Amino acid sequence: MKHKLTILLTLMMATVLILSACGGGQEAPEAPAPAEPEAPAEPADAPADEPVTLDVGTTYIWDTANPTFGWYGYTIRYMIYDTLVEEMGISDFQPGLAESWDVSDDGLVWTFKIREGVKFHDGTVCDANAVAWSLNWTLEQDVETFAFYLYNFEEIVALDDTTLQVTLSSPVGNMEYLLMYVWIMPESVWGEMDYDAMMEFEDLSAAIGTGPYILKEWSEGEYLILEANKDYWRTTPVIDQIIYHEYATEDAVVQALLAGEIDVTDTDSIPATAIQTLQDADNVEVPIMGSTTIDELIINSHENGSQPASLWDPAVRLAMAYGIDKQQIVTVAYLGYADALGPVVPASMGDWHNSDIVDIPFDVAAGNKVLDDAGYVDSDGDGIREYSDGSPLEYRFYGTDDSTVARIMEIIADGLEQVGISAPPTLMDEDSLIALYPAFDFDLVYWGWGLDPDPDFAMLIFTCDQREEGGWSDSGYCDETFEEKYVEQGITVDHEARRALIWEMQEQLFNDRPYILLTNAKNIQAYRSDLFTGFGTATGDILWKAALLQGKPAR
Amino acid sequence: MQRSDYLIRKLFFAVATLLAVIVFNFFLFRILPGDPVKLIVHSPRMTTESQERIRVNFGLDKPVWFNEEGYQEAGLKGAFDTQFTAYIRNLLKGDLGISFSTRKDVTELLKERVWRTVVLVVLGEFLAIFLGIALGMIAAWRRGTSLDTGILLYGLFTWAMPTFFFGIILLMISGGRFPIGGMVTPGLKPEDGLAYWKDVGWHLILPTLTLTILYLSEYMLIMRSSVVEVLSEDFILTAKAKGMNAFQIFRDHALKNAMLPMVTIIALTLGYTVGGAIQVETVFSWPGIGRLMFDAVQKRDYPVLQGTFLLLAVSVIIANLVADLLYATLDPRVKPD
Repeated sequence: MKHKLTILLTLMMATVLILSACGGGQEAPEAPAPAEPEAPAEPADAPADEPVTLDVGTTYIWDTANPTFGWYGYTIRYMIYDTLVEEMGISDFQPGLAESWDVSDDGLVWTFKIREGVKFHDGTVCDANAVAWSLNWTLEQDVETFAFYLYNFEEIVALDDTTLQVTLSSPVGNMEYLLMYVWIMPESVWGEMDYDAMMEFEDLSAAIGTGPYILKEWSEGEYLILEANKDYWRTTPVIDQIIYHEYATEDAVVQALLAGEIDVTDTDSIPATAIQTLQDADNVEVPIMGSTTIDELIINSHENGSQPASLWDPAVRLAMAYGIDKQQIVTVAYLGYADALGPVVPASMGDWHNSDIVDIPFDVAAGNKVLDDAGYVDSDGDGIREYSDGSPLEYRFYGTDDSTVARIMEIIADGLEQVGISAPPTLMDEDSLIALYPAFDFDLVYWGWGLDPDPDFAMLIFTCDQREEGGWSDSGYCDETFEEKYVEQGITVDHEARRALIWEMQEQLFNDRPYILLTNAKNIQAYRSDLFTGFGTATGDILWKAALLQGKPAR
Repeated sequence: MQRSDYLIRKLFFAVATLLAVIVFNFFLFRILPGDPVKLIVHSPRMTTESQERIRVNFGLDKPVWFNEEGYQEAGLKGAFDTQFTAYIRNLLKGDLGISFSTRKDVTELLKERVWRTVVLVVLGEFLAIFLGIALGMIAAWRRGTSLDTGILLYGLFTWAMPTFFFGIILLMISGGRFPIGGMVTPGLKPEDGLAYWKDVGWHLILPTLTLTILYLSEYMLIMRSSVVEVLSEDFILTAKAKGMNAFQIFRDHALKNAMLPMVTIIALTLGYTVGGAIQVETVFSWPGIGRLMFDAVQKRDYPVLQGTFLLLAVSVIIANLVADLLYATLDPRVKPD
């Protein structure tokens, strides 16, 4: 019996031992120093001449090294390529490869002074001639990832080595923003390629630009290594090497930071539930930054949509706004890391945000009064008010099948119920939901997305043309006055005049309510403050070129 | 019926299943709502011409399975100028299409990933089979004792444990002593020889451990119950009556018979090997087929999903076939009727 017990105990202990081996096992050669999750590893001080390496954790590196069809990994691509104009903070555009620029009075001719002494990673010169070649090539090849930003560029010529002249077919109000997306690519790599060759080009030399970092290695699904460009036209980057590690989940990224495997996390890589753990950890800094991410309740506003007639009544829309507790959404779904939002352009976008708009507060009594005054009564006592034709204020309310979305939709539905409107949430697959848009076959939808740093796109989606097949309208909104203002802001070069138009448009949307805006979430990242310091936070992403170039070793 | 007939019949069923899977696999991703081009076009500003070019590049400009326009113009030949015939034609050439997100050949992507999964899963399975059989035999041999109860409890506990949960717990308690994810330290390559493989081995520890601990319970429980069952058979009593000692009976009679269900279960489980342990690969960021599938689902990369589904189906069909054939060979009672 004693013998049996010994075997049993041995077996039972086997698993425990294996598990504890993980927890306190012996050191392996390549392993980082042991550490408690609460206190990240303290690596020994690096000798002064050892290269500085920044390890970045992300859930997705990128799709391809070829930027002509690569849609992911933008922060990495901006490390490799330069643009004429760069984003230094959300909606703050500053000179990049172009030192300065002028525009003619009619807004049609733009003259750029191109920086001198800039070279591509392969040593070829990047002067005004090279920039002109790159922009013309972008248009000729119709590069799918960024040619559309040059939609009204009629002629692009280099007047001399440092002067570039662009003639437009019509003025544009957001030239700096458009140019921020157009990478300058070398003729030495792309010059001989036709469209098909370009689309099949997989070589890492596709990533040759003039940027501060050079692509050294990429292993798909695993890691990517960037090395500092010693000839970068600003100054040689302080961080010699950046290694991007790809993890399958956000939780793994957080664990990797706590374990000392990485020094900084990507945006979208921290689940809200992990923020507290990271903030409590020693030597970890958690910057909470502005973003252009918005969440909204879409109200079907297409005249041929399948929504009930009552949804057209401004009183019903206003009562809905009164019935939504945005602060509860901020607290419950975002654990406080978001702001309630009134106009479609969030405050993070500087003076594009209409700060005159006073948001409708969560006020059930006021919501009920609006509907009472408008003659909506609950005649059958079921808690739901009725429209003049006797039909109850019952709406189809859709969202994507995600647990956070479900919680937010419950908060909205509960609030609406308090003003006598029934909108029970229905969750569905994202594809199924998107498939409802073309026919505008819905009443209410909960949705979220990220705005561009320029307000143009946020306005574009409310224009009539975008309701056609392939368009991006999700509310079906179409209004003549709005349309005129949209066209006008597009060709208004003067910032102040354009800002005034954008403010008016926000106000119109706020009053017509094709969207009831809900929240503007924060961008949250984390980094090892004992190892690195100085990262900029103005762009809402410390891995963005302008932000990362400010970073340096803490010691 | 002869054994060769049995073989032909089994082969026929395997091929028929495969054909059904191929057809099903095609339509599965076409009945989903929405336009696939929307998944490739990421910018609202892209011109209609650019969108059309993408449609042509991915073969999405043709009708799904019947080309009515083509039929009116060129009869039957035109009628079958469709996405389905292109899919079958390409499949015969070993071409599984192009990934929506990376624009790489899906066949290439699968080739890159499959060996990584095989290394992980085969290692985990091997350890699980070995330990599972050993523990199962001990439990059956000591049936009814506290040792048996202990092993049984342990088996049920680990069997009931969700893979991802167990993996995350392991990750947390390891606290950085083992790599959190990945297969190799960035920069190391197979050309680096021993250093590379040592590093891969180091990265393999946690995922293999998870697989082994969780998988062995199934083998153990099945092994235990089949040995117990065999030990209660009349021929064991006969063997005892012949004067064989307990060890001889166990080795010569009980084990051999008890291995029959094990062979089936091992063959079947190995069929899932290439499909990978999706959860383990995801928790430990192991860049194998399972991760590929997980990422493809998140990005709605249908060609990649189609490719991985096909690979998974083929391996399961082959494993089933092998199990059927092995069973017929090992067990003379499995006679074709």
